[in-house]
Amino acid sequence: MMRFKGALAHKFAESPILQLRLPAWRSRLMALLILSCFGVLLGRSFYLQVLNNDFLQEKGESRYRRDLEVSASRGRIADRNGDVLAISTPMKSVWAIPADARLTPEQAKQLAQLLEIDGKELARKLASDKSFIFLQRQIPPDVAERIAALKLPGIGQNKEYRRYYPTGEMTAHMVGFTGVDDKGLEGVELAFQGQLLGHPGSRSVIKDRRGQIVEDVGSIKPPQDGRDIRLSLDSKIQYLAYSQLKQAISDNKAKAGGAVVLDARTGEILALANWPTYNPNNRESLSGAQLRNRAVTDTFEPGSTLKPFTAALALEKGKFRFDSIIDTAPGRLTIGKATISDSHAHGLLTVAQIIQKSSNVGAAKMAATLAPQEMWDMFDAVGFGQVPRLGFPGEVGGRLRPWKTWRPIEQATMSYGHGISVSLMQLVRAYTVFARDGDLIPLTLTRAESPFVQGVPVFSPQTAREVRAMLEMAVQPGGTAPKAQIPGYRVAGKTGTAHKLEGGQYANKYVSSFVGFAPASEPRLIVAVMIDEPGTGRHYGGDVAGPVFSAVMSGSLRTLGIAPDAPLQVAQSPAAKEKL
Amino acid sequence: MLPALDTPRRLPAEVDLSLLWSALVLLLMGMVMVYSASIATAEGGRFTGHQPAYYLVRHGVFLAVGLVAAAVAFQVPLNTWQQLAPWLFVAGFVLLALVLIPGIGRDVNGARRWLSLGFANLQPSELMKLFAVLYAADYTVRKMPHMHDLKKAFLPMAGAMIAVGILLLKEPDFGAFVVIISIAIGILFLGGMRARLFAVLIVVLVTAFAVLIIVSPYRRDRIFGFMDPWSDAFGRGYQLSHALIAFGRGELFGVGLGASVEKLFYLPEAHTDFLLAVIAEELGFAGVVAVIVLFGLVIQRAFVIGRQAVALDRLYPALVAQGIGIWIGVQSFINMGVNMGLLPTKGLTLPLMSFGGSGILANCIALAVLLRVDWENRQLMRGGKL
Repeated sequence: MMRFKGALAHKFAESPILQLRLPAWRSRLMALLILSCFGVLLGRSFYLQVLNNDFLQEKGESRYRRDLEVSASRGRIADRNGDVLAISTPMKSVWAIPADARLTPEQAKQLAQLLEIDGKELARKLASDKSFIFLQRQIPPDVAERIAALKLPGIGQNKEYRRYYPTGEMTAHMVGFTGVDDKGLEGVELAFQGQLLGHPGSRSVIKDRRGQIVEDVGSIKPPQDGRDIRLSLDSKIQYLAYSQLKQAISDNKAKAGGAVVLDARTGEILALANWPTYNPNNRESLSGAQLRNRAVTDTFEPGSTLKPFTAALALEKGKFRFDSIIDTAPGRLTIGKATISDSHAHGLLTVAQIIQKSSNVGAAKMAATLAPQEMWDMFDAVGFGQVPRLGFPGEVGGRLRPWKTWRPIEQATMSYGHGISVSLMQLVRAYTVFARDGDLIPLTLTRAESPFVQGVPVFSPQTAREVRAMLEMAVQPGGTAPKAQIPGYRVAGKTGTAHKLEGGQYANKYVSSFVGFAPASEPRLIVAVMIDEPGTGRHYGGDVAGPVFSAVMSGSLRTLGIAPDAPLQVAQSPAAKEKL
Repeated sequence: MLPALDTPRRLPAEVDLSLLWSALVLLLMGMVMVYSASIATAEGGRFTGHQPAYYLVRHGVFLAVGLVAAAVAFQVPLNTWQQLAPWLFVAGFVLLALVLIPGIGRDVNGARRWLSLGFANLQPSELMKLFAVLYAADYTVRKMPHMHDLKKAFLPMAGAMIAVGILLLKEPDFGAFVVIISIAIGILFLGGMRARLFAVLIVVLVTAFAVLIIVSPYRRDRIFGFMDPWSDAFGRGYQLSHALIAFGRGELFGVGLGASVEKLFYLPEAHTDFLLAVIAEELGFAGVVAVIVLFGLVIQRAFVIGRQAVALDRLYPALVAQGIGIWIGVQSFINMGVNMGLLPTKGLTLPLMSFGGSGILANCIALAVLLRVDWENRQLMRGGKL
């Protein structure tokens, strides 16, 4: 039709009469053409806006809808009395979108100053082709406010937390520390990561291309702050342990050391100190030696502190009695090719005196009456060779070889604490069997709910009491550790002085230790002290570790208000006399 | 055919009111949407001095200048326009040439399209669209006796258009090139040029465009972005993908005036080339339909006025009116098609609505001329004299 009309019009156009008239069909055709193009636009618009809008909206959301993290704070760590040991303080991190951060030289200078970074460093960061970079993290709130007041384009801030440890190096090994991302890396921070960790919530927002939030679409998940932890630790006792240990290491020119204070009724760890230590608030120059929580990660040959276990087993099995006489003369004993010796020859000793005087020969003779399996079972029952599982990183179980491989000489040396290794934490725990009536209790880092804990029996109450009496003798005049005495309290304990093994040989280096408890009439606290490589020539446990024990124990007893049980000395005080 | 004469009971209006109102509504809606689309970029931009109303104030001034210019243009009889047409065309040509001279033309984003007047920038290609209408109509009327003759009727016009086309492609301003070529061909077609010639011409032009697009990497990039914006949504397809998202977000009635997210630095050129996308997001399908219908009305009126002029034996005004219809129609169709991903992205604004002083000025004058044609028609139909 159109073609026909077109041909017709064409002919008319050639006619001189009609050539001045414009053909109306062409005008109509053109208008129709344009308007039908508009019709196509209407259809396309309908398709985009009504039919296919799901796809497009999804694309849009992926571009500007963001789920923002709402930060949650990490739980606090406090000691048993509520004194804060670790707390999260709000800080800011400052970030930049380099493409938008067009700063004048003056602005850049101000920003660099506030961030405490070099101007060139800042310029280099802002020239980055990344879409988002952190300029500085963990900025104090007051500095962050001054940066915000500059109103710099493309520079923004995020809320974050910084972990602060008010007690610093004193509790460093106990509390540990976290990394930048709030993850526990050491100590209780690691052991209780699951409870302490806050769970960030999220909310959904629409952001413009410059990162500004233009609309809050809604909360998806509320933030959940981490739970606070109440530790078994007592800050005052911890301070005592830490400061006394530090002093002793300095006095004895020792390499390292550790001290643990335990509540014998509940298994609560009241103090855990190591030296060397570090400041958890400033870990820039941190060495591996400082970081080591020696009390749980390092094992040593405990030496004579194991003799009471040998004696207890011998009593328990009925091989000896408290007052059985053993001949330790001439202070030497040869088993196979090896000879063991005492530091002084004692001659005839009772079992109690063997502990009091710490005779290796006596202990070896007692062990000779015991089967290897019996000894192994006892060591195993008091926790040697097993990882304590307190949750600290790098906890070790020490070395307790299977009894079937024991040679007679090895069984003999093990009776006085050589050829076996334990950590200080294991040793202090094992002593609960003597501080209590023969049962071993689990240790805890958190404050105990109940004041009494039921343990697993290892020895009979009778045996435990007898060994307790022997340990009391060791601290009295004639024992190995009179320096461990405490005025007003009856104390029981045992020294340990062990040669250090280096490359399979015993070197002229020592580990001096002391483990004891008080009041001996009704033991409440157990304190274990270990001094590694004392360097002044004195190395006997009674001389090196004994005084530390005494200071820590007496201070702890007073701190806890535990009644003295040595009335003679109390009676010497006139004031006390009046009260009585 | 002549509705004004069929309604004797009412005094005929002096001008076509539906055309006038459609155009005014488009202008005002354009101003509102330019403000909405530009408010965030104006506040966030350094060169705007962080003034949110930076573009609104300027657009308002352009509109005022445009309306004054329109009032003046309305006073000018079509006869005068016809006499001026060749000179205007030459003047436009000179301005287009000036743009290309380094030091005179202003470079923005790699395109040299503007002349600096000190207080404002002039975009000669926008004025050239108007001049092309006036000139092509004059040319066609003069050559009417020879319309069947290829050499006499077509080749001189083709020569002039090729010269203008070269200048436009040098800028480059491919969009203006397409619009001006469409105007010239459209007016020649309306003027009665041989239909067979058009068939050949369309084939030649399509081939020429294809070659241009394939040869020039700048244009080829734009083509590929248009074919599938999602394949490279953060590169070549960035702008279009965001325009399409704006359409999708708008749904039937939009997210509400001022509530567009796309205009918040995501969609580049939101207040100029991609104004329709912001309209689509904020006012929805309803808003887009309103814009399309209003443009449709303007174009339909332009053609009706043109045909009325034909009926009155006024060939020059007839061709000018329809030429303006072609211009507004082609440019708005291309702009909207680009916004919806139907056509490759090229720098064309939405007539009457987008931000841009030269464009608004040229559009206002064009509509004044169109209304003048109508006014003259009505005067003659009432038996008056011009």
